[in-house]
Amino acid sequence: MINHHISDEMLMSYAAGALSEGASLFVASHIHMCKKCAQRVFTAEAVGGALVDDLDGVPMTSCGFDDLMARIESEEQVSASQNDILVEPELNHIPEPLQLLLGKDYKDLPWKSVAPGVKQFILPVGGNRGEKTRLLKLSPGFVTPEHSHKGYELTMVLQGSFSDESGRYKLGDVQEADGEIDHQPIADTDEDCICLVYTDAPLEFKGVLNRMLQPFFGI
Amino acid sequence: MPYHQREIEDSGGRGAVVNPNRLSQVLSSFSETQDRGAFRELYDYYGPRLKQFYMKSGTDEATAEEMVQETFVLVWRKAHLYDVTKAAASTWIFTIARNHRIDRIRREKRFVSKDEHYFETELVAEGDQDENVDQPKMSSIIQKALAELPANQAELVKLSFYEEVTHAEIASRLQLPLGTVKSRLRLAFGRLRKKLAEFET
Repeated sequence: MINHHISDEMLMSYAAGALSEGASLFVASHIHMCKKCAQRVFTAEAVGGALVDDLDGVPMTSCGFDDLMARIESEEQVSASQNDILVEPELNHIPEPLQLLLGKDYKDLPWKSVAPGVKQFILPVGGNRGEKTRLLKLSPGFVTPEHSHKGYELTMVLQGSFSDESGRYKLGDVQEADGEIDHQPIADTDEDCICLVYTDAPLEFKGVLNRMLQPFFGI
Repeated sequence: MPYHQREIEDSGGRGAVVNPNRLSQVLSSFSETQDRGAFRELYDYYGPRLKQFYMKSGTDEATAEEMVQETFVLVWRKAHLYDVTKAAASTWIFTIARNHRIDRIRREKRFVSKDEHYFETELVAEGDQDENVDQPKMSSIIQKALAELPANQAELVKLSFYEEVTHAEIASRLQLPLGTVKSRLRLAFGRLRKKLAEFET
């Protein structure tokens, strides 16, 4: 049961195709686990459809229907299976979009240690300057240094759970944080907590020691 | 004239004017029969609209036409997947065009719903929709609701869908605080969903 969802404005921009690659991967992974948000994306896609209906068409000049049919006939032999997606059953605990990107289990990734109790894996997705999409792995009981956000941060639990001032986050739950949030998440079960994290600007850690951690977070 | 009462008429190639509800039935019957006449009707209606759609995101006219053709090759190939009980033709064609735009123009990895899986997701009713909703009709309800949105909300919705502009880009383009952009989009989607909920009950 997912209790923390993605905001409507993110779901709508996702449906519009108006999110960067990293943010889009994040939302796609969440809706793979969350029917409620998937439903809203469907609704937003219907908004997209209505907006297409609403457009004033521009007459086609060089390409006509006959050209189209000729093209379809010449290309028809293309194998229909070219878009088949290979999904490994043993990776089914990983949301499909992430699974296709990683191709392996969390435990087999080349995690890099960034601080005692924290490992990260930067995901190979593009984005605008300052954006990063990563997996973070927190050891049980690990308390993230208190930090605030210059920008915007999306965190989703993929394994284990964490808590902070705003509540408890379990499998599939999303925390959306902006500049006003100051928080200190803690991995609160006896297994590693793995999260998918999208940030559009560097995090700001508090205190001198914590600021020394900053470079390690790959910022 | 209310949108759903418009009949087919010559519009000088700018996209036939036709009842979009009917097009969902046309697409549905095309998906079963592969009838060229039905396909042509879809092309006449959506071709010029999709050309406009692609041009709005900055594509030049020749490329936009090329992309329209590519989109209809995809529609032809994927039509057997179409399920009129789950989405209006406009919704489904929009998702194909949106995906094509990401693949072709932005050349990015695409993490939006795979066309092949589009109708597989089993959804739960949460007040937004349920399985008994007449999807094609819903599309005209949305269109009406869009027309009733406050102008400053409608503008942001259109920027998102037509020009695929991120929240940050909208903020800098319109000189608005990012929080305002987000809250307007949230309010807009909330209103649209409310209208749909009223329609269902």
